[in-house]
Amino acid sequence: MARARLGTLLTASVLMLQMTVVAGSAAPVKPLRIGYLDHPGSALVLTAAAKNLFKSEGVQVRLIRYCDTESGLADLAKDRIDVGAFTVGETLLQIADGKGLRIIGGGGTVLAVDPADLDEAAKAEQESGGIVMMVAEGPRAPGKAVLTGLMTALIRAHQSLQKAPKAVRDRVVTQISLPVPDRSVHFEPSADYRRMERLWRSRDLQKEGMPRDFLATHLDEEIYCDALDRLVDRDGLKDELLKKLFSEAVCVPDCCPKDAKKKNKREGGLL
Amino acid sequence: MKRIMMFVLLLSLLAGTVFGAELPKLRVGYVPEPAHGLYFVAKEKGYFKEEGVDVELFQFGSAAEGLAALKAEKLDVGTFGTTAPLLFISKGSEFSFIGGMMIGGQAIITRPERLAELSGKDLKVYKGKKIGLVKLSTGDVIFKGALKKAGIDYRKDLNFVEFGTVAAVVEAVKKGAVDAGLVYPPHFSLAEKNYGLKVAHYIEDFYPDYTCCRIVAHTKQVNADRETYRKFLAALIRAYRFYKTNPDETVKIYTKALKIDEDIIRNETYVKRVAESNPDPLRKGILDFWKHIQDAGYITQDYPMDKHINTSIYKEALDAVIKKNPKDKTYQQMLTFYKKNN
Repeated sequence: MARARLGTLLTASVLMLQMTVVAGSAAPVKPLRIGYLDHPGSALVLTAAAKNLFKSEGVQVRLIRYCDTESGLADLAKDRIDVGAFTVGETLLQIADGKGLRIIGGGGTVLAVDPADLDEAAKAEQESGGIVMMVAEGPRAPGKAVLTGLMTALIRAHQSLQKAPKAVRDRVVTQISLPVPDRSVHFEPSADYRRMERLWRSRDLQKEGMPRDFLATHLDEEIYCDALDRLVDRDGLKDELLKKLFSEAVCVPDCCPKDAKKKNKREGGLL
Repeated sequence: MKRIMMFVLLLSLLAGTVFGAELPKLRVGYVPEPAHGLYFVAKEKGYFKEEGVDVELFQFGSAAEGLAALKAEKLDVGTFGTTAPLLFISKGSEFSFIGGMMIGGQAIITRPERLAELSGKDLKVYKGKKIGLVKLSTGDVIFKGALKKAGIDYRKDLNFVEFGTVAAVVEAVKKGAVDAGLVYPPHFSLAEKNYGLKVAHYIEDFYPDYTCCRIVAHTKQVNADRETYRKFLAALIRAYRFYKTNPDETVKIYTKALKIDEDIIRNETYVKRVAESNPDPLRKGILDFWKHIQDAGYITQDYPMDKHINTSIYKEALDAVIKKNPKDKTYQQMLTFYKKNN
């Protein structure tokens, strides 16, 4: 029954395209403006909003729909939105052009053709149409805690979508954009560096003179890793999908006691 | 009178040159582990300043945060495990390993009633067992490396359960959800003290002198200001000698810096000697570690990691210290160790 409600909830969210999803608190908190592409790969964002997952992770959001990635990225640069869910191909192109973007998570990729039937170039082309989450670099970017909350909600949305029957999932993705029959969407909430690097190289974006870590500098995997840690701390690894995501992620391991904080001389700390 | 005035002027000029000159500064990051104590010793005993470098220490709550600060050039040098710098370098960060801070240190803990079953000096006792670990931690990488060296197919013969934190590993061992867990200091001492768990083995029992936390810095800074990094390492080499020869005072310095139970620090550092605070770069160990990460399938791409290991600055620092103290046994032992491991 709960699963069946997912499609209905999402329908409502799609109809209220410029809605604000906020907590009932009276305190005026500026919601996080998330621009998303009208594309099946944005389903994690819409599912998280429809199921109040952002709110339950302490993030108030306002969703803003875009019909093309270029407009969305332009608005991100102009501070009209705080976070974007746009196509990875265009985002990587703009990063290569020197735009201050930082990819923080993944989304969904429409698999019009089974990747097994494609050569490397065609596979990369298909993957380039998938969605990733990004923020603009610099002081205007939302803080790490907010972004970790956002990513946690998106991982939970992924869990929710994967647990829903295929019919419900299909309904969800077709309600977001023009329905295309017989397609499937692969969801991947992580913006895995190795995947991005493959795309980066296949599109020949590493130019002469660029630092070797140019792409890595525009990719923040820590947000996703922290979100995974938060869910694992909270729920353990009983959920098979979470276990799989956790096992696949290449994160810097925990090293320190939980209460270890940054400290230095100025803060009255060590020595 | 004129002569006196001239003398006073000359003295003040000299004082300005010798004492007032600004020492080159290094911002040094670390994570709070007992075996990272050489920084505290060198600071407390004044070795950094004596060698001619002004060090400011910054504590970080995670290796990822520390390396991000290093990458953003908010730090000049830091010690944040072995896995984390290798991951960063494999993604293009131009870091160089210039020294070390800790050798060994990981342990396998179990419940007291399982201890007999896991005893002995053969890794085969872990066949068929469920082992909890923090993925990509030093314990994970090195234990798998030791199993492989022992000819055990760990993918087939053992069942690894990944956890997000070492505290979760301890909890799983306590509850019996896993047969044993891989943990690092001071967690196994705390697990023994607080929950009555037992150390079945130190991983060093199976894999001597394996690398743990390494000292990394920006390659371009190291190349541009080699002398400052040499002075920094010389201070750590002297701190190592102090740590080897002054246990009581070292324990007090570590305790003051880390706010960890003094008995635990003494026990880990001098009684059980679970880890060694050693500034040697351990080049061969870093390359082994990198190979084990690849063998475990965490990173499949190859990368010429060796070009990110700079052992020459450490060697110059060690040579300079030995030149001043040619008969010192500790420094001679460090030289022998260097030759063996680099």
